[in-house]
Amino acid sequence: MAVETDTDTGFGEVSRLRGTVFEYLSLGASVVGLFALAALLIYVFVDAFGLSTASPAWLLTYFLTLVVPYIGFCLYSISDRAFTRKIALALGGGLVVTAVGFTAIETLLVSIPGLTWQIAYLFLVATPVVASVTFVASRQPLGAAGFGLVGRLVGGAALGCAVAIMFIVIDRPLWFLVYTFGVLPAGGVYAYTSRREIGWPTAQATLVGLFGLGVSTQLRQILGIYPSDGLIYLWTLAVPLAAGAAALVTLRDGSRRAVAGVAVTTLLGGGGGFVLGSSALPTGSGVIIGAATVAATAVYLVEAVDNEGRRGLLLPLLIAGGALAGAAVVQTVGIPTPEMWLTPAYLTSAPSNEAANAGLYPAVVGSIIIIAMVAVLSFVLGVGAAVFLEEYAADTGLVGRLTRLIQINIANLAAVPSVVYGLLGLGLFANLLGFGFGTAVTAALTLSLLILPITVISAQEAVRSVPDDLRQGSYAMGATRWQTVKNVVLPEAMPGMLTGTILALGRAIGETAPLIMIGAATTVFSAPAGIWSRFSAMPMQIYAWANYPQAEFRYGVVAAGVVTLLIVLLAMNGTAIIIRNRMEREH
Amino acid sequence: MVSTQTGDGRVTRRTALASVAGLGTMALAGCTQSGSGGEEQAINIAGSSTVFPLMSAIAEDYEADNPDVSIDISSTGSGGGFSNFFCVGETDFNNASREIQPEEEELCAENGVEFVEIVAATDALTVVINNDNDFATEMTVEELAQIWEADAAETWNDVNSEWPDEEINRFGAADTSGTYDYFIENVLGERGHTDDYSATEQDNTIAAGVEGDEFAIGYFGFAYWYQNQEQVTPVAIDNGNGPVEPSLDTASSGEYQPLSRPLFTYPAVASLSEEYIADFARYFVDQTDNEQIVAEDVGYVPLTEETKQEQMDKLEAAIEDAQG
Repeated sequence: MAVETDTDTGFGEVSRLRGTVFEYLSLGASVVGLFALAALLIYVFVDAFGLSTASPAWLLTYFLTLVVPYIGFCLYSISDRAFTRKIALALGGGLVVTAVGFTAIETLLVSIPGLTWQIAYLFLVATPVVASVTFVASRQPLGAAGFGLVGRLVGGAALGCAVAIMFIVIDRPLWFLVYTFGVLPAGGVYAYTSRREIGWPTAQATLVGLFGLGVSTQLRQILGIYPSDGLIYLWTLAVPLAAGAAALVTLRDGSRRAVAGVAVTTLLGGGGGFVLGSSALPTGSGVIIGAATVAATAVYLVEAVDNEGRRGLLLPLLIAGGALAGAAVVQTVGIPTPEMWLTPAYLTSAPSNEAANAGLYPAVVGSIIIIAMVAVLSFVLGVGAAVFLEEYAADTGLVGRLTRLIQINIANLAAVPSVVYGLLGLGLFANLLGFGFGTAVTAALTLSLLILPITVISAQEAVRSVPDDLRQGSYAMGATRWQTVKNVVLPEAMPGMLTGTILALGRAIGETAPLIMIGAATTVFSAPAGIWSRFSAMPMQIYAWANYPQAEFRYGVVAAGVVTLLIVLLAMNGTAIIIRNRMEREH
Repeated sequence: MVSTQTGDGRVTRRTALASVAGLGTMALAGCTQSGSGGEEQAINIAGSSTVFPLMSAIAEDYEADNPDVSIDISSTGSGGGFSNFFCVGETDFNNASREIQPEEEELCAENGVEFVEIVAATDALTVVINNDNDFATEMTVEELAQIWEADAAETWNDVNSEWPDEEINRFGAADTSGTYDYFIENVLGERGHTDDYSATEQDNTIAAGVEGDEFAIGYFGFAYWYQNQEQVTPVAIDNGNGPVEPSLDTASSGEYQPLSRPLFTYPAVASLSEEYIADFARYFVDQTDNEQIVAEDVGYVPLTEETKQEQMDKLEAAIEDAQG
């Protein structure tokens, strides 16, 4: 820096004006961004749930039966008088401020379409209050137990749904044979040989598994009759899940009774799903959902019932009871219910020409199947490329220069418009390699290429952030490069790699342009039968509905689709974040 | 749970196991499936976004009765559907809001794709203006051409001296759209289409643009206006016999000229050799005079009894040809 010449006045005053202005400018920037996003989301939610048609009495009923008891539960679990007072003040004061403020804006400035002060209160006051009490309560034993249980219930069901959806495109009879003759014997061989320490367990198990696979594919050609899908799921998924849950409880030193209890309830959950079934979902998927939900819950309960704060386990009952009570009040008093778009029927039925019957089911299934394939493909390719570039490729000489060139190109590829990837997919996968126009395989490959630069770059960052000391330490112990990569670099870098992949997947699930280019269908009426079938994805269907002449489509049905997409995205990100945090903790 | 019970826990467990076993046996006895999943019966459709709502309404009804058939429909625009999918043999049907063009016929011929032209419905291409616009509610075809031709008028006043001296803001169909081609062919002819306009495949973008600007003009299919009559005002078109407003009646009687147009779907002859595709094609043609679906639900003009019969004859000939 140059020496100030004008310093004869000693330590003068430095103007803080610029600093203050900058601070407020950045505050303004973030407020504008957040406000725009919040307004958009509020409108989408209001449209999707038809809240603008909700009567104040309906809102009040559910507020009293559902929201107030929930906040009460959280406050009880926190049991801090000062905090309770603060929350009460926020709820009460917020009521007055929103009502007065909203009315003032409506009468003095502009009318706000589609919103009432009750809805504004719900989103601007009640939602933040619920979020903050939830956050604080989750750090108390009582709240943690309750949220843990609700999380297991919801998470187990969501996972079950996801697996059930994957099985739509899998040849179930073949899977039944492969499991019975390949997976099961291979697992048995592995367990037996590794316990007795004979030979090389992995190789032996793989051999048995491959042999079983060969036998199954042959048998599949011959056999004509198989158990129904529900039974296949019960045998190939619910039984191993029960065994796994029992093993987990044994590992955690559960009593024999607890182990047996977990196993039996899991089977019962699966069996219950089998018996109950559902006309909307594909046959037998109740088994997967039931078993997954019950297994997750039972394993958790075995530990949680003995812990401090076990009264928190009543939270699901409180929520269910509140919902039932609300429904009962609405029914008996005869309060008109709002015209909701996002309903269970919406998620389980096919698109329709009539807004009231329109559903997103085939598109949801298509999106989930594609994103599952993209996740596997892009993770494998991305991590592989990143590890090679960082750990193996030389960084000097001709090879080094080539590596740097590739690096620059990867970074630039991330900025190529998605339509271009669509063209690439159309030319390469659909035409040249003959994977078919608009098939799930073509779409998954195209989207994987689209997000590959992002996954490679973030995986490289993760590999690079592993301290060199660790590598050197590993080499000093006499480890080979492969052992170092496998035991040191990959485990250290895994959370970072997962984060990058999650973010990239979020982009892939919302992409429309490449799907249009590869000829993905706008509308299909049934879920894809296999990965070589043509499919539709959520953004495609939403885009088509946005162009329908009827206003019900453009507002209600589209909004419900957007919220569904957001929920799937959140569920996906949530799962990945949980896995990542687990890995970080274990390490 | 079980672990908290002490006295009769053993009995509970045994009962539970027994009931699971019983359930399993019962299920095993009753629940089998045949492993031979039949060949997937897929029908691939692409093409015009104008015909898309009609095709998907009919396909929806067909799928409800024939759950084994899986129909997928892409809204790609007439031209996009022909050149990218239909004429390279990827789709079984292509919807179009205009007739197939010579270059597309050539492309189809190169790839050995034969097709048959089926009229699906009649549309009344609707020119719309802002609800506050009270001067241009009636227009001659010549005035319309002056607004949309390649060397388009700048202001409303340039077109008609009684109209205000305000700039014209145009919202129209993109050049991949059959609506665009039809508009050129029947209104503009040699004079070409202006490129000084907001081009889109999305009707609601056009409507929103016109709704928000007093001196805007736009055009799109009749269905959009039919379902949103409050949003914008349709222009009555004068083709020399006095101004005629677009409506189901004026379009089907032929009074609304030159903007009432036929909508098409083109089944590929090779596809019709599959019985399930032929069956769907017959069902489609059979529904083209269904007032409820075509007019009420979608907003197009249904075919008359005779036109439908003509189309059916054409289709039957093609099916016979294909299945030969």
